[in-house]
Amino acid sequence: MRETIELLVQNEGDRVLLLAPDAGLFTRALGPGSALAAGQSAGTLLRLARASELVVPHGVHGVVVSERPDLVRAPVGHGDVLYELAPFDTAGEHMGTDAAQDDPRAGLHVAAPQTGRFYLRPAPDAEPFIAEGTILEDGAPIGLIEVMKTFTRIPYRAVRGLPARARVVRVLAGDGEDVKEGAPLVEIEAS
Amino acid sequence: MFNRLLIANRGEVAVRVARAAREIGIAPYGVVSSADADASWLSALDGHVCIGGSAPKESYLRADAVVQAARQTGCAAVHPGWGFLAENPRFAALCEQHGLTFIGPRPGVMERMGRKWPAKVAMRAAGLAPIPGSEGLLDDVEAALAAAEDVGYPIILKADAGGGGRGMRMCTDARELREAFGAARAESLAAFGSGALYLERYLEGGRHIEVQILADAFGAAVHLGERDCSVQRNHQKLIEESPSPALDADERAALGELAASAAVQVGYAGAGTIEFLRDDTSGTLYFMEMNTRLQVEHPVSEAVTGIDIVLAQLRSAANQALGLTQDDVAVRGHAIECRINAEDPAQGFRPTPGRLATFEFAADVDPGAVRIDTHLQAGDEVSPYYDSLLAKVIAWGETREAAIATMRGALAASRVEGVATTLPLHLAVLDSPEFKSGEYDTRSIPGWPT
Repeated sequence: MRETIELLVQNEGDRVLLLAPDAGLFTRALGPGSALAAGQSAGTLLRLARASELVVPHGVHGVVVSERPDLVRAPVGHGDVLYELAPFDTAGEHMGTDAAQDDPRAGLHVAAPQTGRFYLRPAPDAEPFIAEGTILEDGAPIGLIEVMKTFTRIPYRAVRGLPARARVVRVLAGDGEDVKEGAPLVEIEAS
Repeated sequence: MFNRLLIANRGEVAVRVARAAREIGIAPYGVVSSADADASWLSALDGHVCIGGSAPKESYLRADAVVQAARQTGCAAVHPGWGFLAENPRFAALCEQHGLTFIGPRPGVMERMGRKWPAKVAMRAAGLAPIPGSEGLLDDVEAALAAAEDVGYPIILKADAGGGGRGMRMCTDARELREAFGAARAESLAAFGSGALYLERYLEGGRHIEVQILADAFGAAVHLGERDCSVQRNHQKLIEESPSPALDADERAALGELAASAAVQVGYAGAGTIEFLRDDTSGTLYFMEMNTRLQVEHPVSEAVTGIDIVLAQLRSAANQALGLTQDDVAVRGHAIECRINAEDPAQGFRPTPGRLATFEFAADVDPGAVRIDTHLQAGDEVSPYYDSLLAKVIAWGETREAAIATMRGALAASRVEGVATTLPLHLAVLDSPEFKSGEYDTRSIPGWPT
């Protein structure tokens, strides 16, 4: 079986952009008018000796409105736009990626103290600091944040309306996820 | 010589290598992460390819993506800079496999030297004295505890693939070692893609002295004198100078000769640095490690010898002979480098990413005596994803006193606003009696209470 790799998705109004997931040579591109749906192949990416099928990710469909590249084997970089999709001409059909369900900012949450990379575990093979149901008291570690290669523990603090004793409802940030300062990391409730 | 060179790195070193390439008519190309895709320093390059996300392991550490980028931009050679893939022998081998010239030593030598443990074995055979430590790599925390018992506390954990202080931890007893092991391994894995650790006896104080080597593929080697990098915090170098105030002329010549001959004996070609720790009580110079790459602080050696180390790297990689004997290398005057980092020295050196409102460095304080190496300008964003180096200020003088005075003038006339930097720290160090007298060691920052 051929190796596959998913295209990256970016929504631009009612248009959907499909982006190169990696650097390589883009070939077997589809032309304007081609219909694309999730799971379908949309060309090949050649990387060193490997040829990977470019696959349309879950929840995406539409009609290609962009031109093919000028070169049969076009050099592309990570994030370069390979296709622009317009919605199918069917009324009421849901376009683009499925929207995120609910807003995590609605409830109580612990926010990222700095912009950086968030880790749930003290070491790659260690247990996570917290999980659903973990009770947090002042100073309890929530995770690590890596800023400029420096790892700092994020302690729970009962400040800005957060309770002295809290229970983890949901961990919102993924292990190793890039987070912005103030972004919600963990949803909590008073315990 | 090559027509196009791919620089597999970012920021200051990418700009530095691009400058050398242009000087001899090579077109510099680069790779970037998505976080750097709009960076102003990309104007130093003729072209670049985005190879992945912001985290180094998604982009700058991806050997296959870098090689693919070199191929699709038509580059014939790859310069790895420092950090990232610079000391990864599998990357050097992958370049060779795809017909690309890797700017650095051959993969086999790099494997032995770049990995700290095999380097100790090879350098012991070449006549250098390594610091007593674990016999080999540490599989787990239990192995570390056993090795530490043999060597004796205090010990220091080090990353086998490391450099720049990442993955290093000093431990005074078994309890500290038990606690530090996991974090050191995680840090090493994140920074270098390898979590292998070893340990050495921790020598209290002492001076970090390193010798710059240039060697060609035909067995010729010279040294460009030594650099003293003893002004450190958490094993991160802050100020480097050449020559070292701790060595006299005889010690200097003997150390340089020993280092150059060791480089030849291990089959080294290109630019490399052999690092020593000088034990102040005995004066013994212990071999610490060899860095098989360009060093951040290479400009101080360039300033005192007038030799462009990056050009020498490019020529050596193109199989040109060194064309130098030791008699051709004259160390003249004194040079100092201050690393200006986006860290707040008043707040425990907290990293300070953000936007640079003002970014002015005074290179014209003393024309010809001050050099500024940077990739940034006012308005640029200092990214939280990479190291905190903003600029390097290099000052030269006929004497050490003159170099200090020139540096002081250059730093006092420099202004950075928008993010806190280590500028005030450097001014305090330059004014301290310990630094002025040259009597300082790695233990504390002269003139800066911690």
